[in-house]
Amino acid sequence: MAELTYREAVAHGIAQEMERDDRVVFLGEDVGKAGGVFKATVGLYEKFGSLRVRDTPISEQAILGAAMGAAMTGLRPIAEIMFADFVAVCFDYIANEMSKLRYMSNGQLSCPLVIRTGNGGGVRFGAQHSQSVENWTMMIPGVKVVAPSSPIDVVGLMAAAVRDPDPVIFHEHKALYATKGEVPDGEIVDTLGTAKILRSGSDCTIAALALMAPRALEAADILARDHSINAEVIDVRSLVPLDTKTILGSVAKTGRLFTVEENPRLCGWGAEIASIVADEAFWDLDGPIVRITTPHIPLPAADHLEDLALPSAARIVDKVRRVLNG
Amino acid sequence: MSATVVMPQLGETVAEGKILTWFKSVGDEIREGENLFEVETDKVTIDVQAVVSGRLSEIRVGAGSVAKVGDVVAVVGSAIADRVAATNMTKLSAEREAFEEVSTPIDKFGPAKGPNGVRVTPLARRLIAQAGLDLNRLAQEARQRGSNRIAKADVRAATRASPSTPAPPQDSQKSGEVIVLNAVRLKTGERLAENWRNIPHVFQAIEVDFTAIDRVRRKYKDAFQQAHGFSLTYLPFIARAACLALEAFPNVNARFDGKALTLSPETHLGIAVDLSHNGLVAPVVRDAGDLALVGLAKAMRRQIEKARAGKLTPDDLAGGTYSISNNGAFGTSFTAPIINAPQVAILSADAIRLKPAVVSTSEGDFLAPRMMGMIGQSFDHRAFDGAYSAAFLSRLKQILEDRDWGDELDG
Amino acid sequence: MKSGKIAAVRSDPVGNDDIGLERRLELFRLQVEIRDCEKRAHDLFLQNLIKGTSHLSLGQEAVAAGFGVAMRKGDKSFCTYRGHAHTLARGASMEGMLGELMLRDIGLMRGKGGSMHLTSVEHGVLGSYAIIGAHLPIACGSAWRAQYLGEKDVSVCFFGDGTTNIGAFHEALNFAAVWKLPVVFVCENNLYMEYTPIGDVTAVKHPAADRASSYGLESIVIDGNDADEVYRTAYAALEKARDGGGPSLIECLTYRHSGHSRADPAKYRPPGELEEWLKRDPLTIYRQRLEEFGVAEDAIIAIESESKRKVEAATATCKAAPQAPVELLTADVYADGGWAWRN
Repeated sequence: MAELTYREAVAHGIAQEMERDDRVVFLGEDVGKAGGVFKATVGLYEKFGSLRVRDTPISEQAILGAAMGAAMTGLRPIAEIMFADFVAVCFDYIANEMSKLRYMSNGQLSCPLVIRTGNGGGVRFGAQHSQSVENWTMMIPGVKVVAPSSPIDVVGLMAAAVRDPDPVIFHEHKALYATKGEVPDGEIVDTLGTAKILRSGSDCTIAALALMAPRALEAADILARDHSINAEVIDVRSLVPLDTKTILGSVAKTGRLFTVEENPRLCGWGAEIASIVADEAFWDLDGPIVRITTPHIPLPAADHLEDLALPSAARIVDKVRRVLNG
Repeated sequence: MSATVVMPQLGETVAEGKILTWFKSVGDEIREGENLFEVETDKVTIDVQAVVSGRLSEIRVGAGSVAKVGDVVAVVGSAIADRVAATNMTKLSAEREAFEEVSTPIDKFGPAKGPNGVRVTPLARRLIAQAGLDLNRLAQEARQRGSNRIAKADVRAATRASPSTPAPPQDSQKSGEVIVLNAVRLKTGERLAENWRNIPHVFQAIEVDFTAIDRVRRKYKDAFQQAHGFSLTYLPFIARAACLALEAFPNVNARFDGKALTLSPETHLGIAVDLSHNGLVAPVVRDAGDLALVGLAKAMRRQIEKARAGKLTPDDLAGGTYSISNNGAFGTSFTAPIINAPQVAILSADAIRLKPAVVSTSEGDFLAPRMMGMIGQSFDHRAFDGAYSAAFLSRLKQILEDRDWGDELDG
Repeated sequence: MKSGKIAAVRSDPVGNDDIGLERRLELFRLQVEIRDCEKRAHDLFLQNLIKGTSHLSLGQEAVAAGFGVAMRKGDKSFCTYRGHAHTLARGASMEGMLGELMLRDIGLMRGKGGSMHLTSVEHGVLGSYAIIGAHLPIACGSAWRAQYLGEKDVSVCFFGDGTTNIGAFHEALNFAAVWKLPVVFVCENNLYMEYTPIGDVTAVKHPAADRASSYGLESIVIDGNDADEVYRTAYAALEKARDGGGPSLIECLTYRHSGHSRADPAKYRPPGELEEWLKRDPLTIYRQRLEEFGVAEDAIIAIESESKRKVEAATATCKAAPQAPVELLTADVYADGGWAWRN
């Protein structure tokens, strides 16, 4: 067992897979010699060499296109898009190419690759480098989308993503890179499409993702301690495939659902879950489904403003309390 | 390395269980064989043990939630099994239609508003409909307490006030304490009612002289306690005698399905145990016919203890061919128990006490204090008639009174 | 094919015969079959048996044939929505191709992809791409894989003149040059970016060749209507890549006889331009070439008749073919063959 930071877990997960399978290769901007701008891939270049860990020009389309071509012809590439906001620069490959390749070719071609990217805000990088964009790719048929919240999940879901035969977009959270967690020794492989119940409870279900998961957990502690509200907290972890069974099972028990989403309000991932629950679990609901989200605005650079924008533990506590007790 | 913990097979007809309590939390180390969680089915509450050791890394189904048999409820170990996501997904595709990606429920439960405009949450609507409560009354009560909403808490309060019948009369009488039955009792009650309804019960009793047994008991009491750690009561004698008598009257040791009597080559003896707050269970001692007195006493003791500790498994409850209800402790003279279908009879042993009895000797008939007790039997009159049952009881009496019981205890 | 009499090769007036008769016959056969098949596609579209859209390669057969013959089995090709010729040139059947255009179950992708996405992995055709420029980096990726695994196949990427102005073109060229990838970029300059003359929208005269130096590559412009010239250039570029010499960028001057797509009557062409280019019809050029190299008229006619026969047979087969079963609607979104996004 070791205590790793989230960023160390990224390198650890990639290394685990590269050790296991020679076909796993890794490319991106400043990922090799520099160990990544977030220092999330330190040591890989030294360990696996310049043939397997490749520094690219600033060419997001080429990065994703090359990853796709390599995946189509036999490799298992991991491609980094440095800031998740930049997927907009090479969005064609996600929206039109890799997601549709298998379908259009009638199964002749496949694309087993992983795009890993630095997602989310709270790090004062301003509007173009702080977005939570996991919902952008959630809505494209043919890709898989994950967003881990802890080091052990980073390792396990990275392994699952690399081994998955479909394209997987792996959203790491920039504000979580420094957080720590226990990572057991030995091979760790998780399963895509599985949510985790972080905290059992009976009064309401709080579904959260990535940075919002530890915040929801913190809020649940305060709710229990100060307001006698016993919340069940679910880390959704995987948007596609979506573990609706865990969420629906939880709502069947608690009768109330809150989502905590960092993405701006419109069409956030929680909207889809709210829709599914409102439909399938209608007769389990004892009150309206409430989404706690960042407002529908670009994010400011100023720290005090950004902290207001992203849902905080205090805001979660306040909203849950008012809604349940009101 | 990792393992998934699944909801175990809880019994032949049980499809799902509700986890009542997790004995371990995420992050705890667990050892193989340790109790992990407690699950309630409609038959029994059981503890589920861990089958591997390791760290409980994840709980997927929390306390209070229901899982189907076979569903993953937790994960032990550092990772989740290395299954290619593809194989997982194949199953998913088969379960859903592309045009029915989300399962819209087809149930409809009551109106969303009460007659006075009070709103009802979807969950409350369902609960009201399922419990057969009166929406009008609930709506009035909501208004009375200044609320414009009926939610789950309100329905639950109303359900507690009227456990099984809807709408008490408007001139509400003062009611005494209400005790709501738990799931096990409710289910047991349903079974008892069904058996009572379906089986034509006839009760017969016979008076038995336990003096000889009593003598043996008192003689071997201390040695037995010393050797086996529990005291030797009348029940093992009665059970042993019943097994012997059943050999001669096989129709009593049979199953009846309404048409045919299936005799059982073995005797699997159910011992009715009254769990004071948790209903009635009848754990089975398998192959009781093969056990001599001491062995039978020990086996029965084991099952009764398991029952009292709440550790019975569904296998413990299945397969009985004949049952005994021991009511002696309650001091009753005789009891007519309800038959445990598909069995065809059940024995009742009641209080054994000193009573005046007529004893015939070579010198004449005398009154003497003897240990006397009633042995009764409820039987299914479709399976056999009174003469057969009476003959069985006579035989049983004869074994109890005349057998050399000391012989069994000497061995 | 039915063989006519083939006259012996005589010492040729045009220099060393590096290509050889067998290859020349193959080059001719491919061009003829592509022409006939594309003409049939034209007709079927007018009969509404081919639906949606169709981008024909009429007039551009030589590029496809030249590369088709130069490429080895195992080489990977990537082309655009104007990919019928390239698909046939790699050996895919007419039934498969026409069937796909007609959206029938017999099509290469059973109607799932359509005209713009022709794919036949078995023949090395790793997709036809409708987003301009998208496949250039993809071809780089395939080449990277070959380089990484030490495999000897080359990835070839076909695109039009309009592609040279999109971002992905520049990213891919730079990428391939820096990593010295075994990829050949082939620009079919047919003078028009959709409906606009390429000169109106490009800063340089030769949209591909004049950009080559930006990436440290040789500037290569060839007559795209002469299959021999295409073949020689292709072969050289392929071997260079195969030997670790890195990428090439080849601009082939050619012309399309029809509009951009079936919907386009191409009224934007200046008068006389089409007629001029028809004089340089690849098939006319190559027929003459065969005659120069002593191939008998019978043999040439035999190839042409066989081609027409094949087209008729394929058309009949495709017309009779059913459409794909409805289960295919939701098949192959994911690797498990299904579409499920939730449990």
